[in-house]
Amino acid sequence: MNKKLIALKDGFLRPGKSFLEGDIFVKLSALLMGAGYFRRKQIIKGLIITIFQFVVIFFAFTVAVPYLSKITTLGTVQRESVFNFETMKNEENDYDHSFKILLYGIICIVVLTMSVVIYFINITRVRNLQLLAENGKHINSISEDIRAYKNDKFHMTLLFFPIMGVVTFTIIPLLVMISVAFTNYDQNHMPPTSLFTWVGIENFKNMFTNSVTISFGYAFRTVLGWTLVWAFFATFTNYIGGILLAMFINNRKTKFQRVWRMLFVVAIAVPQFVSLLLVRNFFADTGIVNTICSNIGLTHLLQSIGLVNANISYIPFLTSPGWAKFMIILLNMWVGIPYLMLIATGVLMNIPMDIRESARIDGANGFQEFTRITMPYMLFVTGPFLVTQFVGNINNFNVIYLLTQDVYVTLDQALANSRAKEIDLLITWLFRLTNEYYNYKMASVIGILVFVICAIFTLIAFNSMIRGNKEENFQV
Amino acid sequence: MKKTIKSILRHGFLAILAFIWLIPIIWLFCTSFSAYPGINISKFFPDQWTFQNYRLLLFDADTVAQFPNWFMNTLTIAVFTCIISSMFVLMVSYAISCMRFKMRKPFMNIAILLNLFPGFLAMIAVYFILKSLNMTNTRIGLILVYSGSSGLGYLVAKGFFDTISKSLREAASIEGASQLQIFTKIVLPISKPIIVYTVISSFLVPWMDFIFARIILNSGISSEQTVAIGLYRMLDKTLINSYFARFCAGGVLVSIPISILFMFMQKFYVEGITGGSVKG
Repeated sequence: MNKKLIALKDGFLRPGKSFLEGDIFVKLSALLMGAGYFRRKQIIKGLIITIFQFVVIFFAFTVAVPYLSKITTLGTVQRESVFNFETMKNEENDYDHSFKILLYGIICIVVLTMSVVIYFINITRVRNLQLLAENGKHINSISEDIRAYKNDKFHMTLLFFPIMGVVTFTIIPLLVMISVAFTNYDQNHMPPTSLFTWVGIENFKNMFTNSVTISFGYAFRTVLGWTLVWAFFATFTNYIGGILLAMFINNRKTKFQRVWRMLFVVAIAVPQFVSLLLVRNFFADTGIVNTICSNIGLTHLLQSIGLVNANISYIPFLTSPGWAKFMIILLNMWVGIPYLMLIATGVLMNIPMDIRESARIDGANGFQEFTRITMPYMLFVTGPFLVTQFVGNINNFNVIYLLTQDVYVTLDQALANSRAKEIDLLITWLFRLTNEYYNYKMASVIGILVFVICAIFTLIAFNSMIRGNKEENFQV
Repeated sequence: MKKTIKSILRHGFLAILAFIWLIPIIWLFCTSFSAYPGINISKFFPDQWTFQNYRLLLFDADTVAQFPNWFMNTLTIAVFTCIISSMFVLMVSYAISCMRFKMRKPFMNIAILLNLFPGFLAMIAVYFILKSLNMTNTRIGLILVYSGSSGLGYLVAKGFFDTISKSLREAASIEGASQLQIFTKIVLPISKPIIVYTVISSFLVPWMDFIFARIILNSGISSEQTVAIGLYRMLDKTLINSYFARFCAGGVLVSIPISILFMFMQKFYVEGITGGSVKG
């Protein structure tokens, strides 16, 4: 850690040091970024960096200044229609669009930060160039510089576009949405008709508040509770189920192993929006399963033992909280077990045979072999995968959304006020808040909390499971 | 004798399980041939069998069902997404796995952090970015959404590259090959399994996704949609009774190519997930 800090400190100090120690052209580079390159006859490089400098300056004055100056208020001029006597028409005034101010403001901050970093790196580069020249070492020509990007600096060539993609489509949007959590951007403050502004941590307070008007605290606790229960059951039912199925199919006594495996894979190869939407109609209140259950008297039986409310004549598979939760976990096994079966098959085939055989010679029975050898080995190999599965299940949108959207209606008024349902995961709740109710501020708060929860689980799990960094060991 | 009974029980049990897993698929297949357009809630098998649903879907597009258009839209989006994503993923994983540079560890940590944020959160802002570029309701917009940050999904491919012998690359380097040549002439040719996996998995994304597509393609014009949202819409409460059988037919039509690709890919998927750690 200390080493890293020193490296960090060095990184910050070096441009300053380079500037002070450099010759006049290095100092000039602080003003005109290409100066140092021109001196060393790297004309093209100098031109490129100088053009870059002017583009950034132009950008700063034409785009960044107008937006960044408004970012503290997110705009003050509301849209109004004004009657213009010259044209005799209603015209819109020059209004502020809060979301655009926020979005472009953040883009400007990102671009300017990157430019400043490049600016400082440039000074160090120019200074190094000066040192090379003074010591009579070779100075690269432009074609040699380009060649370096195919060789020593090849990683930069490889990473440039992917990183640009991630910055544009993940980092900037995330920064914007994290900022939204600190504003009052919701259905009453929708640009362009109205403005929104910063409100500090009020949304976070509301998220944990329970009062007459705000029920988010209650809804959050309910949804979080179910999210964790769901993630636990979804992960472990699939994991255990997948391993058992894989062992059963891979057993020496099973014939046509490949055929069996394929039959299960067919079920998951169909896109989920087809298969799960189908299953939802299968188990609908007036669906075919209910018809069959009522024909064979199962509905009546469940009513008599109290599992189904006597007032309804069907089994509420996906419409009552208890049943829906049960069915969701059950149907998720249908979706997930074949996946785990495939993975477990891959791992099981790699269990060293000699360990098993020696266990058998020592008199271990099948059960002991499973608990003492197969499971520990599986856990060892798939441990990190299990953590990713758990985090993935916290964010498992498809299963719950496809099974319950448009079908499940909550009767709990407090939940309904916060637009939540008993069977919601944090992620489906977030989606409904944005997509149906335009409550972006609370959705962003939920998003940040989801991140915190996932981060905590990942950290705990990886710290306790992966001791030391084994990555290098895999490379021969 | 006892052995045969045990064997019959074992295979019988598997057959029952397999049957349970396949019921919805069988139902999908049967209903797609049903003459009744809505959901048959009293019988599993249709009363009358017909090819009508397929015929309507393929040759008789109406305002709701535009299957040929959807299919072409999704195919275009999938092809471009596949090209861009695969390149990004392979480039990032090669750089992270096979090259050593100062920012490598920080990059990996940032990628882990970014993957912990729910993807939808960023979607709202992405929507506005695309809107300000006039790219909502276009195929290009959706391609960018699918492939833009695909570099973050480098882990499986990196796991594969990690298993390629370092000495191979070193030998090439001594022979005077540049990193670019090592990547394209040596590492890529022996990485066929992971290339196949990456290509197929990124090709499948647009066929499976119905959320991002619905946010970006929100004009409501049926012919502009992808297969997933088009089919999803057929199950609206107002439409389900006249389109359910056609939904099933559409489901069968997309499922066939996707299943084949999926089956082909799953082998590599398992290798990718288990490969790295087992070899350790």
